[in-house]
Amino acid sequence: MQNIDRRKFIGKTALAGIGLAGAGAIITSCKRNDDKKFAGLPPILNGAPKGKKLKAGLVGTGARGTGAAINFISSGPDLEIIALADLFQDKIDACRQRFDSFKLPIPAENCFVGFDAYKKLMAIPDIDVVILATPPQFRPEHFLEAVKNNKHAFIEKPVAVDPVGIRSILTTAKKAEALGLCVVTGTQRRHQEDYIATYKQVLNGAIGRITSAKAFWNQDHVWFREREEGWNDMEYMIRNWNNFCWLCGDHILDTHVHNIDVINWFMGKYPQKAIGYGGRHRRVTGDQYDFFSIDFDYGNGISSHSMCRQIDSCANSTGEVIVGTEGYTNCANTIWDPDGKIKWQFEYPKDENGNAMNQVKIPPYVQEHMHLVYAIRTGNYVNEAEQTALSTLTAIMGRTAAYTGRQITWDEIYKSDMDLGPAKIEFGPVDMVFETPIPGTPVTI
Amino acid sequence: MNLINYHPRASLSRRRRIVILLTGFIAGIIFLISGKTAVKYTSSDDYCKSCHVHPFAEQAWKLSTHYNNGSGTIVHCTQCHLPPEGHGYLYAKSKHGFKDLYGYLFKDSASINWEEKKLLENAKGFVYEESCKKCHQNLFPVTLSVNGGNAHLFYTTSNEPLNCINCHLNVGHYDRNALHAHDTLFGVSAAANKEVFAQPASVTEFKDFTENIPGTGVSFDMVALPGGTFKMGSPDDEPLRKNDEGPLRKVELSRFWIARTEVTWDEYLAFFRATGSQGRTEGQVVKMKNVDAISGATPPWGAPDQGWGKGKRPAITMSWHAASVYCQWLSKVTGKKYRLPTEAEWEYACRGGSQTPYFFEGNPKKLTSAGFLRKLLGPDTTGIGSRVVYQVNSSSKTKESASVKPNPFGLRNMSGNVSEFCLDFYSADTYKSDSTAVIDPKGPAKGKEHVIRGGSFKSDARDVRSASRDFTKTKPWLVTDPQMPKSIWWYSDCIDVGFRVVCETDTLVNH
Repeated sequence: MQNIDRRKFIGKTALAGIGLAGAGAIITSCKRNDDKKFAGLPPILNGAPKGKKLKAGLVGTGARGTGAAINFISSGPDLEIIALADLFQDKIDACRQRFDSFKLPIPAENCFVGFDAYKKLMAIPDIDVVILATPPQFRPEHFLEAVKNNKHAFIEKPVAVDPVGIRSILTTAKKAEALGLCVVTGTQRRHQEDYIATYKQVLNGAIGRITSAKAFWNQDHVWFREREEGWNDMEYMIRNWNNFCWLCGDHILDTHVHNIDVINWFMGKYPQKAIGYGGRHRRVTGDQYDFFSIDFDYGNGISSHSMCRQIDSCANSTGEVIVGTEGYTNCANTIWDPDGKIKWQFEYPKDENGNAMNQVKIPPYVQEHMHLVYAIRTGNYVNEAEQTALSTLTAIMGRTAAYTGRQITWDEIYKSDMDLGPAKIEFGPVDMVFETPIPGTPVTI
Repeated sequence: MNLINYHPRASLSRRRRIVILLTGFIAGIIFLISGKTAVKYTSSDDYCKSCHVHPFAEQAWKLSTHYNNGSGTIVHCTQCHLPPEGHGYLYAKSKHGFKDLYGYLFKDSASINWEEKKLLENAKGFVYEESCKKCHQNLFPVTLSVNGGNAHLFYTTSNEPLNCINCHLNVGHYDRNALHAHDTLFGVSAAANKEVFAQPASVTEFKDFTENIPGTGVSFDMVALPGGTFKMGSPDDEPLRKNDEGPLRKVELSRFWIARTEVTWDEYLAFFRATGSQGRTEGQVVKMKNVDAISGATPPWGAPDQGWGKGKRPAITMSWHAASVYCQWLSKVTGKKYRLPTEAEWEYACRGGSQTPYFFEGNPKKLTSAGFLRKLLGPDTTGIGSRVVYQVNSSSKTKESASVKPNPFGLRNMSGNVSEFCLDFYSADTYKSDSTAVIDPKGPAKGKEHVIRGGSFKSDARDVRSASRDFTKTKPWLVTDPQMPKSIWWYSDCIDVGFRVVCETDTLVNH
């Protein structure tokens, strides 16, 4: 497979477009232009197409991993989970039990436990697809191992916790592309029919030129684990991974990356720099913040205000807003004119009583797996790793701006040597200091 | 490579030249008639080799990864040295063809500076990026290392134009001195069995002395320059001058010591070994002026000495920051006050009492290689050739300082070999701001880039004049450094800058 130079490719496509118009294909050119403009958007499917049986292995068998595995098998015919890998036996057992209850047993010899479990799973030649759903700290090495073993992959967001990990994902994504291995990521809004329809509206000028945006993920506190007797440092941190930055990346990555990704998607670019703040008041464990407020600067005076918070009993909600010269949108289903009058709304399917439902027919968590299977079976190649890596990097830029109090530029964070976590990852005591970052104090970017 | 004993082709007799010229004409006509066949024939390796007899071109190619590799593929001359078809192939072919034919007929191969042609900036003229990319379509093979991945990501996302040969210069012609990795052993091997100085030189009066770097066997000479007055800059009528060299102004300087030669690799490596740090963050502590814990340069990428050898050659490619930290360190270990020279001190030292374009007799117009007439007749090298390492006599490399005669103050290589950092910030109108007599000037208070003085082994005679000014160019000199922040210790893309030190007198000798 050729390594297509993207900029040139776009250039050539544009030239081809001019050529077509010149040839007088004016009547069809509108349709063609639409096709071109919307090229690359995920297809909206009712189910993955039939094809060769695809066997998948799940790495990271916690709640999201098990959920993703179920989403995978329910996205179409002849899809199987045949192997599991996790750090903990109890997580494996719980996941196997669930599949047993579906009468879809997973053979014991295909279940692996430990830090190298993923390697054993990926060494199984029968496996076509891997689902990577561990804490994001481990994603880069797992993704690389998957591509080395010629597996298609579904990789959960966020895809890494630091720039070293991001660059690893970007490089592995290119390696996957060269081998024709499909990659879909867990940024499910990009697979949601209502979001896609709204995006098309915006692309066609429904809100004019974009002038500003905001993105927000404000919610109650999230889960945490207190340390139990018998757990060494490493086991405790990984069981409580959602509260340690080196494992989770903080919640600006873990959850808010969804909103940040939507803004990047609609803007069609990535921010040039970030300034922001954050802090910690309520958390019980770990070293992360409770809230972030970041100004992402997209250039030419256009900013997105990104906020996320995990504190109970506050004005909590999640979503995105993008404002343009001729209106604004919630990115999800509605366009308003500047006076607040609805200009356009996505039509949701109707229930058996003829009332419009408030969600798309196929859950986006399943839709994304349909896309992956569709791509593998039809040869319509997909690789979302780069876009999700760059949105994760956007979140890392925001996090670093808040932790340090400094302005962080895209170039700086893209090339940063920041590599979180202990040098050696193994069970036992961990020699690390977990201080909550204090802005304005000297730090390494 | 040994160029001196290599005389591949005696110059041709006039009759033979005419015969060859006629043959060329006939060949040209056949070329036009037979078209494609001729293009093909004249693109074969054998055809290239029939003229390209310069030293080791063929051997170096056969040892390179483009000939000698596991896959058994051989990459032929024109696959790199011409663009692919559709990218200006025929134009480039005729351009190079005419140039080569001209060189073949009228030049003596032994007199051509092949080493210079191997330098990156020159290689860009005859190695085509499109040709690299035509074969190397997949920049991200599964086996690519982390460093390789980072470098290729940098290549594919950089806003600055980058060439494959920025990093892969020697892949077509093998160079055993080239290194494509972090040189973690850089400077580690200490010189064996040499006297190690326990103490620095003791200095109580203002005269020449030899400094000893404690804990090493390295020493260097310092020359005492009495204070004085001189005219700094160049007069309006000096040939080939530039505007930033004026107006001429009278400058009075206090006495100081200056090093007889540019800082050598031996000297710089003593610093590197004593202070080398593993990470950039450690190095950044230096900015806080914590001289008790000077943390020096990180291991360089590739070979900073360009594979030419270290020892007594001047140290090169270190950043201005690194040079200034070197001075801090040297001051600390010797108990003296070393620093970079101010621009005025530098020019005073270089002139050695002269007020002429050079410290020796010579007219820049005659010495320069620029201009049609000079190209045809060749530059005049009288006087300059034995005193300055510059473009004409350098073989595009640094030389040891002993290879040239000193100036009237006894200093070597002020005018050439490597450009030298000065303490001052650069500004084109430094002299304008104060054109009357000034005492111990220190340059503008603020600025971005620093003055560099004295030409280098790459310079034309015009730029080795005593008044000639230049400055550091931080961004272009770091363009292929893929780190962020970029290295503060090493320039990735400048190979002809170094420095020499001065020592202040006040703390050691009373007036």
